[in-house]
Amino acid sequence: MRLELRGITKRFGSLTANDNISITVEPGQIHSLLGENGAGKSTLMNVLFGLLHPDEGEIVIDGEVIKFADSGEAVRRGIGMVHQHFMLVPVFSVTENVVLGFEPTKSLNRIDYKKATDDIRRVSKEFNLEVDPDAIVENLSVGIQQRVEILKALSHDAELLILDEPTAVLTPQEIEALMAIMRSLAASGKSILFITHKLKEVRAIADVITIIRHGKVVGTAEPTASESELASLMVGREVELSVQKDAYAPGQIVFEIRDLVVRDDRGLAVVDGVSLDVYAGEILALAGVQGNGQTELVEAIAGMRRIESGTITMNGRDITNETPRNILDAGLGHIPEDRQRDGLVMTLSVADNLVLNTPRRAPFASHGTRNLGAVAQHAEQLVKDFDIRTTSVKEPVSSLSGGNQQKVIVARELSRNIDFLVASQPTRGLDVGSIEYVHRQIVIHRNRGNGSLVVSSELDEVYALGDRIAVMYAGKISGIVDPSTSREDIGLMMAGTTVGALSD
Amino acid sequence: MSLTSQNPVIVTILALVLGFVVGAFIIIFTTATILDAFRGFFNSWGAPGHAFKITFDYVGAAYRDMFTGSVIDPAGFWHSLTTGKGWDNTLTPISETLTYATPLVIVSIAVGISFQTGLFNIGGNGQAVLGGIAGAVIGSMIKLPMIIHLPLTLIAGILGGALAGALPGVLKAYTGAHEVIVTIMENYVIYAFLLYVVLSTPYQQPGQANDIGRSVHSSAQLPPIFGEASGLRVSYGIFIAAGVVVFAWWFLERSSLGFDFRVTGASPSAAKASGISPRAVVILVFLISGGLAGLAGIVQVVSTTHYVDGTFLIGDAGIGFTAITVALLGRNKPVGILWAALLFGALGVGGRAMQAATGIPFDLATVIQSIVVLFVATPVLVKEIFRLRAGKTQALQLGTQGWG
Amino acid sequence: MTIAEAPTNSVPKIAIHNTRTKVIGGIMIVLALFVIFVFAFGSSPGAHSQLTFDPVNTTNAPIRLGTLTVLTRWCNLILGLAMLGLGIEVFWRQPRRGVMARFGSVAVLMLLALLFWAVRTPGPSQISYVNLTSILVGSSEVVMVLIYGALSGVMCERSGVVNIAIEGQFIAGAFIGTIVASETSNFFFAAIVGAIAGGLIGLLLAFFAVRYLVDQIIVGIVIVTGISFFSAYLNQQVFTPYPNLNTGNIAPSLPIPLLYKIPIIGPLFFNQSGFFYCMIIFVCLVSFALFKTRYGLHVRAVGEHPDAAATVGINVARVRYINVALGGAVAGIGGVAFMASQGQFLPDYTSGFGYIALAAMIFGRWRPSGAVVASIIFGMGVYLAANLQEFSVPISGEILQMFPYLITIAVVAGLIGRVRPPAADGMPYIRD
Repeated sequence: MRLELRGITKRFGSLTANDNISITVEPGQIHSLLGENGAGKSTLMNVLFGLLHPDEGEIVIDGEVIKFADSGEAVRRGIGMVHQHFMLVPVFSVTENVVLGFEPTKSLNRIDYKKATDDIRRVSKEFNLEVDPDAIVENLSVGIQQRVEILKALSHDAELLILDEPTAVLTPQEIEALMAIMRSLAASGKSILFITHKLKEVRAIADVITIIRHGKVVGTAEPTASESELASLMVGREVELSVQKDAYAPGQIVFEIRDLVVRDDRGLAVVDGVSLDVYAGEILALAGVQGNGQTELVEAIAGMRRIESGTITMNGRDITNETPRNILDAGLGHIPEDRQRDGLVMTLSVADNLVLNTPRRAPFASHGTRNLGAVAQHAEQLVKDFDIRTTSVKEPVSSLSGGNQQKVIVARELSRNIDFLVASQPTRGLDVGSIEYVHRQIVIHRNRGNGSLVVSSELDEVYALGDRIAVMYAGKISGIVDPSTSREDIGLMMAGTTVGALSD
Repeated sequence: MSLTSQNPVIVTILALVLGFVVGAFIIIFTTATILDAFRGFFNSWGAPGHAFKITFDYVGAAYRDMFTGSVIDPAGFWHSLTTGKGWDNTLTPISETLTYATPLVIVSIAVGISFQTGLFNIGGNGQAVLGGIAGAVIGSMIKLPMIIHLPLTLIAGILGGALAGALPGVLKAYTGAHEVIVTIMENYVIYAFLLYVVLSTPYQQPGQANDIGRSVHSSAQLPPIFGEASGLRVSYGIFIAAGVVVFAWWFLERSSLGFDFRVTGASPSAAKASGISPRAVVILVFLISGGLAGLAGIVQVVSTTHYVDGTFLIGDAGIGFTAITVALLGRNKPVGILWAALLFGALGVGGRAMQAATGIPFDLATVIQSIVVLFVATPVLVKEIFRLRAGKTQALQLGTQGWG
Repeated sequence: MTIAEAPTNSVPKIAIHNTRTKVIGGIMIVLALFVIFVFAFGSSPGAHSQLTFDPVNTTNAPIRLGTLTVLTRWCNLILGLAMLGLGIEVFWRQPRRGVMARFGSVAVLMLLALLFWAVRTPGPSQISYVNLTSILVGSSEVVMVLIYGALSGVMCERSGVVNIAIEGQFIAGAFIGTIVASETSNFFFAAIVGAIAGGLIGLLLAFFAVRYLVDQIIVGIVIVTGISFFSAYLNQQVFTPYPNLNTGNIAPSLPIPLLYKIPIIGPLFFNQSGFFYCMIIFVCLVSFALFKTRYGLHVRAVGEHPDAAATVGINVARVRYINVALGGAVAGIGGVAFMASQGQFLPDYTSGFGYIALAAMIFGRWRPSGAVVASIIFGMGVYLAANLQEFSVPISGEILQMFPYLITIAVVAGLIGRVRPPAADGMPYIRD
């Protein structure tokens, strides 16, 4: 289909998320929408998919102006969406998920599962997306789950496929496979709208690139444009694409993990014999696609998940299976993966959040009573030192932007006199300015001679920060290499090839 | 004070108004006299007016009796002011309200603390009863000088309530059992236990075949402030209640443990990540909440009833459930709870006065309470009804979901 | 997010599984030993107990079976050994599934042994026989009400709304039901009106929970409190001046020809009130709708992942309103059924059954079939606790009253960590 967005504007109170956006997607075209986190891409997609109604502007499909009442209608009109966070019901089977809302029925409103399964197999074969219709979705790997999402869209006869940040959860090889699927879909006449903030992917796959910044279209580009050109369009200024680090001069081993085994809620070993060392003055970057045990590894380090066997030693002290309280007191700094759930208490004030890990430590409290004055003073100091943008330290932290919320966590941890820092996906969902800031802070910590473990599924970040790179796959370490290793090789390791088996 | 629904006081007042309006309609539709008057609506030209007059008279009388029975009778007040006599009668309504509110404040604070931690303590009733039993046994079956006996009795009450709270607390901490079901079931268990204690154990009042327990000795009683002779029942218990309010405020706002409780209530996962032990918090919350409820129970015994019987704390709206509505009305904050408890205490006392005067069962007062609370819990609804400007008021979420 | 999530995270499931299973097995073994030493060896060697099968009510009676006399000591010894076997199996082998089923069986066997022991002759009891049929039929009334409640819970929670107000819907149904039944002597009408009452309460709950995003448990508790006192209020205002409105009467039994003559099974399944038969139909209907139809798939999607449902065009709010209203209606009918088994309305006589029904729903894993099994276990427990006094069991009556509630607590505590409610259960759905 030929899709035109004309002058789409959407406001939320005083915030204009989309400001007069006009885009055209031709049939058979892979059109990429490039913008950093917070630029307004998700809002635009929700408008296109019928989940939001635009305040101004219109959507034109094949020359006809359309108004979607809800997303069911968008689907019926041929728009299919592959969401960033999958819209799949975990306990349902692939079939149930694919047909949801459009189920074939027999008498008495019964679902005709046979017909459904046959249809799925047909579409699956047509577009070369292998899935087992009877598998339960929560048992499938993330890459396969994404295929189910795509299948879902295609089985509703989508002519336009919107893919919202699809590569966050894929290995480089899986990204290649996805791109091949996109090319073949485009070749068969489907239009593809591919939303991302990743410069490399955009240049690899897009036919046309539209760049969005602060809710406005700031330009279009060809995939031949350089990364730095695209980056500066995306951010509006010259972007430093790498981080300045002092020379790499590792000291003693400050952090040791030996043969760690951790089980998940269902009893499977999600961390299956992991061993690694981190030296003083070093950042060890742990790469790997999400879902291979990194989350559980960090939880185990922080004392939030039980360790079945193996040891963790920090500065010579065994912290295996200690309580989170003891581990934090022993000098661990923790930037959790899900900042709003584990890192902050959204309804409490900025000041309270800034002492969250040490509320009883002097001078914040004595004899069981809190010293609110000291807490406020501490907060004021940190807001200044770390440039946290907030109207007052008494404001609930939920009123801060994502970037500033992360700054609160970073400020709290790095000002706490910690020895070792564990940061899990520290820049997820942040705008470029905040990303630069967080990276700088971590490097400062490193330059002072402390050790850090940074877990990230963003290869750019891994390369930028890591003095050494470890790769995790299926609960094991595929290998620990230096940053001169090629992306292809790291990609292979992310998919399971051990370092010894890499071809030279 | 702008008229936005952001202002909780405005919302509360409006919710109250709505509650009374609905209560009025309930009275109208369920009182035979009024309905009869309306049945003859079209009989004559004067009939509608007559019907409305009957309505206003009746409803007005009911609410007026509620007020004079719980707060003050203006005529009596004037009389006492001018003649200097009859103060005992004039002050009786307020005294009754305070007496009724004393244990209610304490239990409501107990419930409010649990709500602020994200836990539902629906067992306030049972915990208060067990506290009452424990304290009453100590107060009636041994004899000691008052300076030891009274504090000992009160402590026994606190321990009894804490013991009752320990069960849901420990079960939740170690097995994840949902505290709503456990506490509700525990209420029934404790009531059966109450009957057992007052019927089948040595605690039964000697010489009584009914479900009445022994009276506590005078050395374990909290005397009325104005003396027995005045007939004013308000006792020194109100100072205990006030003390509990102050304690709760300090605990939640200033103490480290209270901070831990609030963090856990707002975000259990962040609490765990920041070093708080969720198990410890769960158990402590129920111990404290149960202990306070137990204190309420024993205060009721030593100051007002002086013994425990088979209907202890059940008769009046099941104090535990009233406490929930009070806590919600007071938005789980100690000062708010104090006012809400006074208000609902007045409603309860006034309801009984209304029943005595007009025959309308006092249960109506509880129904009004429920309606008021529902409206308070949804400021959005109140806003829509009164078309206030929308503030950023949040519906009362306790952050708990499902069965864990 | 409940606090309960925190403990489960820190200990992997297998570890919990082992400890809990061991504890349960241990309890089973202790109970078995109790039966063996107190109920078996505690009876004199010559004591015998009688087991009869003829229902007390002789109209439409099944074929007579006569009396079975057993030697108490040996009978209880066998029961105790069976319990011991199950207990040892659970403790040692730690089976992954069906632990609770084994525990339930042990409980049933223990109760049987208790009864045999209580009626032994020579012995203290006035009654010398255990009437299996009347026990089953008697408890079937309680079980029926619990199933109505648990089914209501399933319907509501499968769409993601916690219905604490079941107790209130019971009360409302019983109240309205008795008025209608007294005036019309027609239980069918009473059921319809009761369903409407329950449905309206459900709508009220849904209204506050879905539209205004109030915490569902709070709304439920406040509604139950309100209804409880409203019904007490009306009891005074209406039934005291007009007692003829509260002569609801007991619903007549409708025997199914031929089948009702089968001993034991006949009186239990084929000679019951219309409410009993309706209950069975409802269970089948809800099971079918929930798991086989398009409608059911939508409901379950809304209860598990409302965002996913919304993106395919399902109206989450509407699904919840409908389901909670229907669930409320079912609970309302349950209230009428309760009234019809008691013959009248009394304030608060539902005694917490609405909450026990919720426990049964959890026990039954949010499936109608599981809810039925759980309700049977809870229902028999309630009935026996209430009637054990007749057998001169040396436990005071008030303590016996506690048992149903204690059992409920034990069950709820014994299960969590292994149950999975619908993922969005209790969470308000917020549209952007």
